[in-house]
Amino acid sequence: MIQVEDVHKSFASPTGRVQAVAGVSFTARDGQVTGLLGPNGAGKTTTLRMLYTLMRPESGRVLVDGIDPALEPAQVRARLGVLPDARGIYKRLSARENIEYFGRLQGLDASLIEQRTGRLVDALGMHDFIDRRAEGFSQGQRTKTAIARALVHDPRNVLLDEPTNGLDVMTTRSLRGFLLALRDEGRCVLLSSHIMQEVAQLCDRIVVIARGRVAADGTPDELRAATGCTNLEDAFVKAIGTDEGLFA
Amino acid sequence: MNALWTILRKELLDAFRDRRMVLVAFVVMPLAIPLVLAGTNALSARKQAQQLEGPLRLPVVGAEHAPNLVTWLGTHNVAVLAPPADVDAAVRRQEYEVVLRIGEQYGADWRAGRPAHVEMVFDSSRPLDSGMAVSRVRGLLDGYSDTVGTLRLVARGIHPSVASPLQVGIRDVASPAARFDLSQQILPYLLLLLAFIGGMQLAIDSTAGERERQSLEPLLATPVARETIISAKILATSAFSLLSLAVTLIAYRLAFAVVPSGGIDSSFAVGPGGLLQLFVTILPIVLLGATLLTALAAFARSYREAQGYLPLLMFLPMIPTLVLMVSPVRTQLWMLAVPFLGQNQLILRVLRSEPITALEWAVNLGAAFAVVGVVWFVAARLYHREQLATSG
Repeated sequence: MIQVEDVHKSFASPTGRVQAVAGVSFTARDGQVTGLLGPNGAGKTTTLRMLYTLMRPESGRVLVDGIDPALEPAQVRARLGVLPDARGIYKRLSARENIEYFGRLQGLDASLIEQRTGRLVDALGMHDFIDRRAEGFSQGQRTKTAIARALVHDPRNVLLDEPTNGLDVMTTRSLRGFLLALRDEGRCVLLSSHIMQEVAQLCDRIVVIARGRVAADGTPDELRAATGCTNLEDAFVKAIGTDEGLFA
Repeated sequence: MNALWTILRKELLDAFRDRRMVLVAFVVMPLAIPLVLAGTNALSARKQAQQLEGPLRLPVVGAEHAPNLVTWLGTHNVAVLAPPADVDAAVRRQEYEVVLRIGEQYGADWRAGRPAHVEMVFDSSRPLDSGMAVSRVRGLLDGYSDTVGTLRLVARGIHPSVASPLQVGIRDVASPAARFDLSQQILPYLLLLLAFIGGMQLAIDSTAGERERQSLEPLLATPVARETIISAKILATSAFSLLSLAVTLIAYRLAFAVVPSGGIDSSFAVGPGGLLQLFVTILPIVLLGATLLTALAAFARSYREAQGYLPLLMFLPMIPTLVLMVSPVRTQLWMLAVPFLGQNQLILRVLRSEPITALEWAVNLGAAFAVVGVVWFVAARLYHREQLATSG
């Protein structure tokens, strides 16, 4: 389970400080897919980065399975599987070596890594490129490798930043099935997206973020009810206050 | 510890699969540096031999005033030439290393038994080019002068030794290993430079490069402590540059075995003990270079910015060599504590087979590892910056 409680974060920029996150709170429960939906620059990536301890919140706090990353960062990172915005796999290593490297960094032994890798290769359909070097991988192959790498230690909580970015329709479909299977195993799946259709199809709970704040939070039905719109798209636009950047 | 080993192994695997990096570290460097040095050595040996033993080209102005002297020079391996129109300009243009000018008064003075005047024209700002020729001509003239002087004394019934109150003998105390040549004067600098920046490709690639390829963010999301990550990268860089250095040294040794050095002893004459001493001396510099490069690469916003710092770093190991060149001083204990200067001194002493005391080792290694520790601390702090993974 992931809890975010009123976190704030700002950055220095040449034109002064930019408030990236200004009081975001939400809870992502186990056995659910929670979606952070918002236009580009809304603060989704920054929020996720505070969860996987790359950044510290200026105020407020986050909890992963009840553990504060500010106090026990290594504990938190061991409980998270992270697909960052930047996939960044090692080009001179094969997909298998990429996964194995992260398995070892998570403290797994060789036989366990092999067993988990086999399962992930089956689930993600990576058979035809698992032993190829990552140089020249397609976007989909890179994303699959990065997801397998993030999940090799079998984490309870899975964070994915824009998981379907740049993927074709078939890959997106299979990835969606994979994420729902993770949910059905009782994991807490938290993903960010700026694509409304994707969030609508996949998520049990939607947190709409705009300008660093939570604009709406609930199940798709609750969102429709709260905004008085029968169409989910209209509900989002109404919640955010503008349709700018939402369908980019 | 496990994570440290995992990262270290992965970085080395990654590096050895980078064909360009391997080519530079294990083929280009080991080939280029020894060949250039051995080549320079052979060239300078040949030039020296030529200048010492080949016929000396010597234009003489006013040769008709001293036919005996000119004939005598001719029998001593000197090719007497007709003088150029403008002697001073010709010497300045380096057409001739030295020109001899014999005055019109020479004949008259000679016959009267007065010192007859001859003049050597040369450019003292080019000691490397003309020094040998100048001292040869001076030696010949002195010899001629002595011979004639002795004959004159004998003709007057005086024993020639009266005019030589002093007899100067020479005893050179340098050990054979200490009489090394030009290329071995460059060797300390070469070793230090290679040790210092030999791993630069890997250091930049594994930090700034990893960030640019955006693989640092997932790495930092693993439970591994950042100190462990940076230490592993530093050790990988060190291992890589030590290996490159070893290959270069072997190639260096081979190059001098193959390239003829023209009679000058240029053997890199250190035994296994000396090699071990060299290794111990250089090790902290390898670590220092790796740590400094990693810190810089962590600080730099991009691969290119990190590479921009390199010329600055290449200059660091050069400073003590330059200082010692300008003012050669006796080694004092504090100097051994100064990074690069201390190592430079120790390498020289190992090459000259001079003993090094335990105190000297302690001062040198203690200071060097302390500096490494400080730089490591700074690098680790830089690795904790939030901007590290996200900018770039």
